[in-house]
Amino acid sequence: MSDNPTANFKQVHHSVTKIDAKQLALGKDSYVGDLAPREALIVKMLWSPHPHARITSINVSKAEKMPGVKAVLWHGNVPRNIHCTAGQGYPEPSPYDTFIFDTKVRHVGDRVAAVAAETAEQAEAALKKITVKYELLEPVFTIDEAMAEDAPIIHDEPEAYVPIPIPYDPKKNLVAMVGCEAGDFDQGMQDADFTFDDTYETPYAQHCPIEPYTSLAHVDSAGRIVITTSTQVPFHCRRIVAQALGLPVQKIRVIKPRIGGGFGSKQEILLEDIVALVALRTGRPAFWQFTREENFITGRTRHPIRVRLRAGIKKDGTITAIGMDCWNNTGAYGGHGLTVVSCCGSKVLPLYRCDNIHFDGKVLYTNLPVGGAYRGFGATQAFFAMESTIDKMADAIGMDPLEFRRQNHIQSGDSSPIFAALGEGKEGTPMTIDSCALDDCIAKGAEAIGWDKRTDWRDKTGRYRRGIGMACLMQGSSIPHIDMGGASIKINEDGSFNLLVGATDLGTGSDTVLAQIAAEELATTTDKMIVYSSDTDMTPFDVGAYASSTTYLSGEASRKAAADAKRQILKTGAEILGLPVDQVQCVASHVQNTDGSQKVSYGDIACYALYSKNQYQIIGTGSHFTEKSPPPFAAHYAEIEVDTWTGLIRVLQYVSTIDCGTAINPALCEGQTEGGTLNGISYALTEQYLFTNGRMTNPSFAEYHIFSMRDKPPIKAILVPSYEHSGPFGAKSVSEICINGPAPVFANAIYNATGARLYEFPFMPEKVLKAIQAVKA
Amino acid sequence: MKLCEFLRPASLSAARDNLRELGTKGMILAGGTALHFMQDHTPVTAVDITRLGLSYIRPDGNFYRIGATTPLSDIQRYRAPRWAMHEICRRISTHQIRNVSTIGGNICRVFPWADLPVVLLAMNARMVVYSDHENEYSADEYFATQPAKRFLDGNILTSVKVPALQAHHGFGSVKVSRTTAAFSMVTIAAVLELDGSIIQSARIAAGSAIPFPRRLPNVEAALVGKEAVSEVFKEASTKAARDVPWRSCEGQSPEYSQHLAEVSILDALERAATFAHGRAE
Repeated sequence: MSDNPTANFKQVHHSVTKIDAKQLALGKDSYVGDLAPREALIVKMLWSPHPHARITSINVSKAEKMPGVKAVLWHGNVPRNIHCTAGQGYPEPSPYDTFIFDTKVRHVGDRVAAVAAETAEQAEAALKKITVKYELLEPVFTIDEAMAEDAPIIHDEPEAYVPIPIPYDPKKNLVAMVGCEAGDFDQGMQDADFTFDDTYETPYAQHCPIEPYTSLAHVDSAGRIVITTSTQVPFHCRRIVAQALGLPVQKIRVIKPRIGGGFGSKQEILLEDIVALVALRTGRPAFWQFTREENFITGRTRHPIRVRLRAGIKKDGTITAIGMDCWNNTGAYGGHGLTVVSCCGSKVLPLYRCDNIHFDGKVLYTNLPVGGAYRGFGATQAFFAMESTIDKMADAIGMDPLEFRRQNHIQSGDSSPIFAALGEGKEGTPMTIDSCALDDCIAKGAEAIGWDKRTDWRDKTGRYRRGIGMACLMQGSSIPHIDMGGASIKINEDGSFNLLVGATDLGTGSDTVLAQIAAEELATTTDKMIVYSSDTDMTPFDVGAYASSTTYLSGEASRKAAADAKRQILKTGAEILGLPVDQVQCVASHVQNTDGSQKVSYGDIACYALYSKNQYQIIGTGSHFTEKSPPPFAAHYAEIEVDTWTGLIRVLQYVSTIDCGTAINPALCEGQTEGGTLNGISYALTEQYLFTNGRMTNPSFAEYHIFSMRDKPPIKAILVPSYEHSGPFGAKSVSEICINGPAPVFANAIYNATGARLYEFPFMPEKVLKAIQAVKA
Repeated sequence: MKLCEFLRPASLSAARDNLRELGTKGMILAGGTALHFMQDHTPVTAVDITRLGLSYIRPDGNFYRIGATTPLSDIQRYRAPRWAMHEICRRISTHQIRNVSTIGGNICRVFPWADLPVVLLAMNARMVVYSDHENEYSADEYFATQPAKRFLDGNILTSVKVPALQAHHGFGSVKVSRTTAAFSMVTIAAVLELDGSIIQSARIAAGSAIPFPRRLPNVEAALVGKEAVSEVFKEASTKAARDVPWRSCEGQSPEYSQHLAEVSILDALERAATFAHGRAE
């Protein structure tokens, strides 16, 4: 390998066109909604109008007699199997606290009864004929109410439990607790010249994929249930549906076609059990697609988290102590609650060197919408607190916040006690940082934003004030010793390959990226790869698309499978050429001798193996689990303009640098970086859930405001090279980290512009104006 | 509304006859975008008026006459001396919506967040309504109550006459929204008539964060006869609270809505003064 290992790459580290680009551009049948047959029954759900109530009676007889109705499902006629809806490994680090239908509703938008009818109109008409009597229960809307001594118990069902050995006390609305200590936090605070103790609040948000949750099921001729669904986790989906319905996994096949975005929301099994049951009961295909309102109200959200951050520093900039306490509002069900709060610590605390660290996380039920996986997964929330505090630290000792970060951030060769202490549902994995180009990220970002022109807020006057803010970030790449991906690859007569992967392309381009990796290993071209992914009958297992794992984890599985096939190709090629295996190599879809004077094409090798001699199928397989979770690193910068009369903020420019190791497909990496950054900008500035008595009052894009391309400020994405030796061809992850930046970057920029420090977002103008007025006062 | 039948009459009078015959079961269809906000499922017959030659913008004496089915994107693109309507049209929703949404659709049924009524009130525009003959209504009269009532008996808005601003007239508008496609948090439009630096007359209108678009007479009164300078504008803007109770909007408090309106009035007046003194077209 040369000093620059990426220089010799012919497939990876190139912006190959996405292999599904033409299909999507031409609008070919691609998505679940395209695939629903005409005869499919349409499913609609009656949702709870109450945040907390017991169902005392329910009468579906009139609904069952309505025109077109073929099935009505409710708690009296479905299996009562406790399970969790979060697809995240097995056994899940989330409580089993969910039934297909229950006798209690725990949030506005909880399931009450489902109708399947010939048309959507008929299903909706039938829903209106269902009569339900509720005994209203006192609701719990805040984490303080949830923790109160005499708080109403949200989960009082006796079956609820958590399948791993962690604290779970539903009688106290406690979903999970996690904590760790390194060094002596109290001593570290005592040793400090300056101490900080601030509490930050982060809000709800919805993922807003263009394609809402959508599922289709039918029973095939062998009597098996085939679920075609917009999911990030087909294999978890199969297992969870089997649990919920009380069926063997063998009875179920899950297929993921193209997906119109997920961002974590589709790491949850919210529709599949119902369409499967309807298909089983009626023998008809069943189709269910959430409306946008349903996506908001009953789909999954980002967990709102309160973060108390305590820290101490010395005058020279040494960080003597960091303490993070998080309270995670998981809403009515506990999926992902523990792992999200764990990631608040594990993905954030290692970024800065400190000997004395304290972390404590609690997860609490409330009668509000249900939290779930969302890009950033806890790091987004905790980085708002951490990076705001880092700026406060630098300000306290009169140091440039950029220099303060540069002085304290983790480097190649460093470790952190947090890596070993905090895992996901269990202890973590010790890890030494291999690749880290954060210094370069900081430098390149600073140059792009014009950091050297940044001035103190006290020097600024006038109505419109400009400020520059920054933040440093890290994330992870897969979950060590938990995540696993598999791939297989076989050769065809023309030298093309079928690459089968369990990994799940959500529109991210991972099918293309995995094809590039396999092609690089096989010394062929990406266009020779026929990729088929995410079908539980046909493809190898993969945990799915989450935890920033696909390129790093599934990519290495694909590389291993390709390497396995390559060994067979070399052996057969050598046999054809009459040479020893150690004297041949793979070059440009051929096996050849050292000087290239003798060679045979992959197509001829395939034909030889399939038809001529020693006949066998050249097929490689690979599985991979990870020993570490190498962090990608990033430095984000923004220049904003604050209208000090109204509190309105205008983003003038945003710079998003990232060290993701080798960018397997630079164009796709830039796309992920820009998309994630814009997602974070929108979250920081405009997205909010408004509630009245537990009911979201703004469940549409008319009132829940996400940034569109017309709102997009100039975003400069800079890929900063590094090489992660544990990843496929040096790659780390890229997908999540970028959403973590905008909230702290804007908080720091608002401070730099006005002297106003905000401890909660979104940075609505009224909130910003009040903070500015407080500074003036 | 749920569109169940579709008619495309060949003339204005045929459209009027269709609408009279259908009564409450008929609905004029132009761009159709307002349907999104009329979510009851009453079955109606759409009477399409988009092929009746009502899509145009042309000078008409001291006015610019805009046909009722003119898409907002056409108004956005139109340019003429001291033409100002494009400023607000480019701020309404998205390109895709503006390509189909019409000026008539925007003002025949007025939603609280509508921007065009605010501008037309400030501009002192005139609305032309076809019944058996054409009637003209001033903006003050037309927007005094919900205009939809005016069309219950088959009447059809055919055009909007926007006064051509004179050299001593200034126009300014402000729309504050959370994103470019979002409904307004507050919309203000101002037309000032100046004699030198003295304000001869002022028409200031507001929309969003109030129940229905309307003029702000106390703000106007505080301007007339005064010099067109920032101090006067600032003082006048503080009268907004006397004209209308501002209300909470998408989580923002009534107090903030009022504050935002006052700052926006000030900004609109500054822009109007700049316009009157000559601006780059």
